[in-house]
Amino acid sequence: MGIFNKNYYESVKVQKRISNSIILILLLLGSILLLSPIWWMFATSVKNMQEIMTYPPTFWPNEWNWSNYADTLEAAPFIRYTFNTLFLTGFAVFANTLSNSFIAYGFAKIRFKGREVLFAILLATMMLPAFVTMIPHYVMFAKLGWLNTYLPLIIPQFFGGAFFVFLLRQFFRTIPNELMEAAKIDGASHLYIWARIILPLSKPAIATVAIFTFNGAWNDFIGPLLYLNDESLYTLQIGLQVFKGQVSTQWNYLMAGSLMVLLPVIILFFIFQRYFIEGMNLTAGSKG
Amino acid sequence: MNLKKVLLVFLLLLAMFLVACSGDSGEEAGGTDTGEDSGNEETGSDDGGEEADSGEVVELDFWTFWGSETRKPIIEKIIEDFNNSQDEIHVKHTHLPWGDIWTKNLAAVAAGDPPDVIINDINSVKQRAVNNQVENITQYLDDGMESEYYPELWNAGVYEDEVYALPFNTDTRILYWNKDMFEEAGLDPDQPPTTWAEVEEYAQQLDEKNGDRFNTIGFLPNYGIGQDVWMMNATGHGFWDFEAGEPTLYNEKAVEALNWVRDYESRYGLNVIQGFEADFGNQQSNPFVAGKLGMAIHTPTGLYTQLRDYGQDVDFGVAPTPEMEEGNGHTTWGGGFVAEVPYGAKDPEASVEFIKYLTGPEAQEYWAVMNFDNVANIAGAEAAAQSDELTEKGQEVYQLAVDNMEHTILTPFPVEAPDMMSLVDPELEKFRLGEQSAEEALQNAQEAVKDLAESTE
Amino acid sequence: MDKKKMLPKKRVLTLEQKEGLQGYIFISPWLFGLVTFMAGPLLFSLFASFTNYNITSRMDFIGLDNYIRMFTNDSLFWISLGNTLYFVAFSVPLTTIGAVLISVLMNQKVPGMRIFRTIYYLPAVLSGVGVYLLWMQLLSPNTGLINTILSWVGIQGPAWLFDPNWTKPAIIFMSLWKVGGSMLLYLASMQGVPQSLYEAAEMDGANPFRRFWHITLPMITPIIFFDVVTSTIGGFQVFQEAYVMTESGDGGPANSLVFFNLHMWNKAFEVFDMGYAMGMSWVLFVIIFILTFINLKLAPRWVHYEGGK
Repeated sequence: MGIFNKNYYESVKVQKRISNSIILILLLLGSILLLSPIWWMFATSVKNMQEIMTYPPTFWPNEWNWSNYADTLEAAPFIRYTFNTLFLTGFAVFANTLSNSFIAYGFAKIRFKGREVLFAILLATMMLPAFVTMIPHYVMFAKLGWLNTYLPLIIPQFFGGAFFVFLLRQFFRTIPNELMEAAKIDGASHLYIWARIILPLSKPAIATVAIFTFNGAWNDFIGPLLYLNDESLYTLQIGLQVFKGQVSTQWNYLMAGSLMVLLPVIILFFIFQRYFIEGMNLTAGSKG
Repeated sequence: MNLKKVLLVFLLLLAMFLVACSGDSGEEAGGTDTGEDSGNEETGSDDGGEEADSGEVVELDFWTFWGSETRKPIIEKIIEDFNNSQDEIHVKHTHLPWGDIWTKNLAAVAAGDPPDVIINDINSVKQRAVNNQVENITQYLDDGMESEYYPELWNAGVYEDEVYALPFNTDTRILYWNKDMFEEAGLDPDQPPTTWAEVEEYAQQLDEKNGDRFNTIGFLPNYGIGQDVWMMNATGHGFWDFEAGEPTLYNEKAVEALNWVRDYESRYGLNVIQGFEADFGNQQSNPFVAGKLGMAIHTPTGLYTQLRDYGQDVDFGVAPTPEMEEGNGHTTWGGGFVAEVPYGAKDPEASVEFIKYLTGPEAQEYWAVMNFDNVANIAGAEAAAQSDELTEKGQEVYQLAVDNMEHTILTPFPVEAPDMMSLVDPELEKFRLGEQSAEEALQNAQEAVKDLAESTE
Repeated sequence: MDKKKMLPKKRVLTLEQKEGLQGYIFISPWLFGLVTFMAGPLLFSLFASFTNYNITSRMDFIGLDNYIRMFTNDSLFWISLGNTLYFVAFSVPLTTIGAVLISVLMNQKVPGMRIFRTIYYLPAVLSGVGVYLLWMQLLSPNTGLINTILSWVGIQGPAWLFDPNWTKPAIIFMSLWKVGGSMLLYLASMQGVPQSLYEAAEMDGANPFRRFWHITLPMITPIIFFDVVTSTIGGFQVFQEAYVMTESGDGGPANSLVFFNLHMWNKAFEVFDMGYAMGMSWVLFVIIFILTFINLKLAPRWVHYEGGK
C-alpha cells in the first residue's frame, strides 16, 4: 500500500512520475518472481538429458540444444493436433461467449418467478467434484453414440456453465438500469437490449470469458482423453503426454512442448487486451 | 404466444442444431483424417482398415502406456510380428498416458465398450476380478502355462483359482555400489556388504563431510526403497496372509527393521535426509549417478539404464539386497504389469491368443533386451541375460536381476482391504517423525487394517 | 425498484407474466442443459451414494452405511476435511487480496503495461503435470530456487513438501503464483469504473489510497463476491496438486496433503468404492452449499450493484 501515500509532493506531475516509477519497479520485481519458474522450464527445455540428470541442477544451461524443439515436434503429429485443438477451442469460445451472456442476462436483468431458486441450483452444479459425475457422463455419451467424436466436448458448451453465467451476471448487474429503461420506453425488446446495450458495454467481461474459455479448452486434457480414441482426433495436451513415462520422463521435450503450446495463448491474450481498455471509455461516457 | 409454444420452438431448433452439429463434426473428423495422411506415419489405424475388409479378421484394440520414443517402437514391432505370424487376428496399438489409461479403461468397461487387451497393474488384478472389470481367461489357457512364469507373478493374476491376467513385466531391488568410492574409502571395491551391519559399517566409511554439509553419503535406507521393503527383507513375507485373510504387519523382526532404519537415519538428522530426498525425489537427477551416494538399492532396470546413458564414468557393481543377518535371506520386493482382457471385450479368446504371444518367450526376450526390462516369462528372461545385444556389464546386471527373482516377493492388494497401505503409511510416518514407537506403529496399523478388512466384509 | 415496477395500473399481471416468460427464454439453454446433461449424472450420484456401487458390477442399496462409515470409521475422512479447510481458509483470502492488489497496479497507465499484464497472467495459463513437477523442483530444500532466494536474504527455508508443517503453505504459495486469472477479472471490472468519478475525487484532493478505498473497491465488490464464492468452491475441490506432487498420490508426509478430493479419488478409482466416494462428494456439496448460502446472505451488506437488484 506504500505507493498510495505519496501525496506530499507538491507538483502533480512530479508525483505522477515518481509513483509511476515506483509502480514500475514493483512490477519489474514481481515479473522476475513470476517468470523465474518459467525460466526454469525454458532452461530445462534446451538441456540434454545428461545435464538434466546432473546434480546440483544448473540454472543456466551449459549447452543449448535448440534441436530439442524440432525433436519435440517430430515425436507426434503436432500439426494435426494443433488444428484439432484450434477447432475445439474455437467452438468452445464461440459457444460459451454466446450462451453464457444470454443466460446471464436472464438472471441479471429480468425478474421472474423462481429466479433465486434457479440461480442457487446453477451455483450448486459447481459444487460436486467433476469426477464423481465423470463415469455417468461417459456412459451417457456412449449410449448416445457420441464416443470418438467431438460432440461430448462441444455440445455441452452451448448450454452455459455456472462459472461463466455467474461471472457475467455479476458484470451485468453493475450496468445501470437507467440505460435499459430508456430503451424499453422506446419499445425495445430484451433481445435488443441484450445485443445492443448490454453486450457492447460488457466487452471487458466478454473478453474475460473468451480468454478463460480459450484457456480451458486449450488445456483440457481429461475430456479429450476420455472421449477420443482415434489418434487423428487427438489434441495437443494428449500429444504432450507421450513424453511422460512411467519410469523416465523426457523432461526437455515435455518442457519444450509445454512452452510451445503456451505460445498461442500468450499471443491471443496480448491481442485481446485491447478490450480491457476499450470498455472503459464506453461505460465512463454513459455514466456522465 | 404461450409458454408451451415457445418451448416447442426452442426444442425443435435445438434438435435441428444437434443434428447439424453431429454431421459437422463427423465430417471434420473424417476431413482431418484424409487431409493429413500423407504427412504422418500413423501406425496401426491405416492398415487396419484394409484388412478389416476381408471379413474374417478379428480386429483387436490393444491399450498400453508405452508411447515414449524408446518403448513405442518396441511394442509395435512385437505387435507387427504377431500380426504377420497368423492371419486371423489383427492387433492395433493405442498408447495412452500413464495413469489416465486406467481411468479411461474403467469408464469404457462401465459403458460396455472396452478395449480388447490392456496392460494393467499387477497388484490390483484380484481387485478388478472381484469387481468384474476383467475377464476370467482360465478356459482359454493351455495346460502347464503356469510353469512358464515366475510363480509370484503368476499368482498375482489368480483370484480364487481362476486366472484373470498373465504377467508381462516386473522388477526387483538390488544393491549397487560405487567401486571408485569404495577404493577411496579404503574398502575392497569387489566386496559389497551382504548384511545390514556391513551396510552400516561401509556406509560410515563412505560418508564425506564438508563442514555441516555432506558431500557424499554412504547409504540411505529410505532412498530408492522404503521402510516397508526393509520390513519384508527382515520377515521374509509381505503384509497380508492370503490364506488366513488377515494382515501380517506386526512382527518382532518388522519392529527391529523399523528401528534399524530410524536409528540409521537419526545419525544424519531429519534436515539432511529431507533435503536429500527432495533433491533427488523428483525423478530427475539420481544421487548414485551423480556420485553423491556410495551405495543404493534400486531396480536393475531403472538405475542401470540411467548409469548406462548418463553416468558413463561411474564404475559400479551389483549384488543382491543385503540380509538382516547371515542366513535370514535376501528377500526383496517387486511389482509389475499384466496383460488382461477388460470385462465385456468382444472376443476374449482372440484377445488371449494375442496375450499368449505377448507373454511368450520370443516377444518377452525381445522386450527384455530392447528395453532392458525384467520380464515375466522365465525362458524369455533367461535368454535375454545371454543376449549378445547387451554389453558385458548389461549381461551381468540382467543375470543378477533374473537370479534375484527367487528372493523377490510381490504384494498384491488383498480384496478385503485394497487400500490397506493408506492406513499403514500414516502410522509408519508418525513413527518416523518420532511420534510413536515402532511397536505402536505396527500394532496400530495391524488393528486399523483388520478393522478395514472386517468393515468391507 | 420494486415500487417502480408496480406503478402501471391496468396490465400489471400480464406485464409481469410476459417479463417472466422472457426470463425463462433467456435461461432456457441452461435449463435444457441441466435437464438433459447434468441432472441425470447428478441424481445418479446422489442415489449411488446410498449403494455399494463399484462402477462395473455392483449397486445394492445399503441405506446410510456409506455415510455412517465416513463419520465413524474413516480417520482419513476427518484428516482430509481438516486439510481442505486449512487450504481454503488461507488460500481464498490470500489470493483474493493478492489479485485485487495486483490488478490495481495493472490498472495504472505506465508504459509497457500490456507486457506486464501478459507476464502476470502467464502462470495462470500454464497447466498440466509439468507445472507441478516444476514446482517440486523449485521447492526443493537444498537446491530449489525458492530456498536459494531465501538464503540470499539470510533465511533458511523449510523443507516444504517434505515437512508436514510446510506442505500446505507450499501449495498455497503455488496458488498465489497463479493469481493472474482472478487478476484478469478485477481488471475487467475496473474498466467499468467511470473515469469521471476519479477525476472528481482528484479535484477534491483525495489521495490515491482514498480513491481506491472509496471508488474502486465498492465498484468491484460484485466481482470480489464472485471471486470469493467461486474460489471457495474451487478451493474445496483442490486435488491435482496433491495428486501429482506427492509420491503415488498418497498425500504426502504424515497425510498432510490428503485433501478431501484426493481421498475421494482414491476411494473411487483405486478401491472402486464409488458409492462411498459419491457419498463423500455429497457431504462436500452440503458443506460448500452452506458456506455459499451464507455468502449469498451476507452479500447485500457489502456488495454494491450499480444496476440494482
